[in-house]
Amino acid sequence: MNDLAFAGTDGIIILSAFAIIMLLIGYLSGRGDKNLHHSLSGYYLAGRNLGFIALFFTLYATQYSGNTIVGYAPTAYRTGFSWIQSISFMTIIIGIYLLFAPRLYVIAKKRNFVTPTDWIDHRFKSKAVTLLSIFLMLWGLGNYLLEQLVAIGQAVSGMTGGTIPYQIAVIVFVAVMLAYEWMGGMKAVAFTDVMQGIVLMIGIIVFLIGGLYLVGGNFSDVTRYVAEIEPAKTAVPPMEVNINWLSMLLLVGLGASIYPHAVQRIYSAQSEKTLKKSFARMAWMPPITTGLVFMVGIIGIMLFPGLDKTGSEQLVGLMANEIAAINPFYYWVMIIFFGGIVAAIISTADSVLLSFSSMLSNDVYGKFINPQASEHKKVMVGKVCGIIAIIFLLWIAWNPPGTLYEIFVLKFELLVQVFPAFVLGLYWKRLSGKAVFWGMLSGAILAGLLTWTGYKTIYGIHGGVLGLGLNFLICIAGTLLAPAVSKSKVLEEDLSAINLKA
Amino acid sequence: MEDRTIKEPIRKKWIWVVLAIITLGVVPWYFPDAAAEPYILGFPLWAFISAAFSILMCGYLSWLCVNEWNIVEDQEEAERAKGDKS
Repeated sequence: MNDLAFAGTDGIIILSAFAIIMLLIGYLSGRGDKNLHHSLSGYYLAGRNLGFIALFFTLYATQYSGNTIVGYAPTAYRTGFSWIQSISFMTIIIGIYLLFAPRLYVIAKKRNFVTPTDWIDHRFKSKAVTLLSIFLMLWGLGNYLLEQLVAIGQAVSGMTGGTIPYQIAVIVFVAVMLAYEWMGGMKAVAFTDVMQGIVLMIGIIVFLIGGLYLVGGNFSDVTRYVAEIEPAKTAVPPMEVNINWLSMLLLVGLGASIYPHAVQRIYSAQSEKTLKKSFARMAWMPPITTGLVFMVGIIGIMLFPGLDKTGSEQLVGLMANEIAAINPFYYWVMIIFFGGIVAAIISTADSVLLSFSSMLSNDVYGKFINPQASEHKKVMVGKVCGIIAIIFLLWIAWNPPGTLYEIFVLKFELLVQVFPAFVLGLYWKRLSGKAVFWGMLSGAILAGLLTWTGYKTIYGIHGGVLGLGLNFLICIAGTLLAPAVSKSKVLEEDLSAINLKA
Repeated sequence: MEDRTIKEPIRKKWIWVVLAIITLGVVPWYFPDAAAEPYILGFPLWAFISAAFSILMCGYLSWLCVNEWNIVEDQEEAERAKGDKS
């Protein structure tokens, strides 16, 4: 994203405006709410009172980060039409939510859960299962947060043509994020998401219109051009790509729905009606987000043919330059759009950081170190530990690894291993904690080993999915061999559908 | 009696059978190599059909959320209405 036509003063002005608005929203969210910093659910779940607009946008802005644009358009450029899979794998997440969110929402509200681990702890009453799931979730979140930090630095330094260097960009925007999150907790995160989500949505649409304008307005011409110079990009995908596509549906669907910050949004909903409505709208977002970004990537093949992998990573910046040069309207929309990309990255990072802090304070500190601590103290520990974690991640971000997409796939591999414990546990009374532990551990080891040894996929199937298969197998076989006998009336009540309403 | 009013998607098999069928429609494993043409709205035939199934998936899941999920909504809405009145 170097050498943008609008890099420099105009970019700095827009970025500063975004930063000021975010800080203002953070201040206003926290003002007048004295209980906010004294209650875990007040700070981390906005008092379980998020209405439709805030819940919808916070789900949207959290799920679609800057990576959706900066990383997905180049992937479409490189892989061609088979990247249309990005619509389906973002949609299937809602289908996976339907497997567990309805019941989890009710139980979470009844039992006052703050983090996903609260459910695992409540369900299995096993230190080993709780600790392992905390570790896997923190690993996934840490990786995710790192990815967002790297993306902030690249986007801001690219947008300002290097006037704001990578390191300074990361530090300034992380400081802004920490400040508004500190002031308003989840409430601030959700309300800034409304602004960030709207800018992103409008920006993508204008970006596509500008791209289409540059290629003469006809998408069919683009496809004909692509078919002529690179027929493999329009051809029917070979079987291995199809298998990889199915694997991607499983990996992203299961992994993204179980993200701790996504689960906490289920906890934060004001009511079942609000949650249903938000999910129903979210189901329509992939075509108008990843679908449009996919088309941008395909148009890029005609606008900038022959880019290598590194070159294609700059695609969004290259196109933005061309679009900004059309006329002053496009020029300013491009600047705002790039500000929107930065904002979208921050909106994902803030949710992840909040979730990360909540797990440190509620799960690690509150469950294992000092269970007697007041809620105020727990919130404070979470805030401070969050800052320490950010400093550690910043140190890693100074030497960013790999391309954005590669980092994206890696984080799912381990995180997704919590899925069986989480979802099977909701419906299968006899599911044994021991089987869950060994399943989770074996799945994580297999997925981790495959990744570290360079076998990201085997016959198109991701290491994380293979690990998950092993995980499920051990959970089911282990439970059938030695089923758990629950004597807990509370748990008995939660796991019986008939009692859900009570 | 009360059980009748609860709508929980996981308990309805048909929901998942239909979703699996739509998912199999999304992934273009069933196309012959020649299905790159004709182009429809600029999409190769196979990609157009795959996109159509993806949109169908969006609509289906959105519809499910609204119509096949109802556990505590009535109760919550009744409580809210009571709260508004008092």
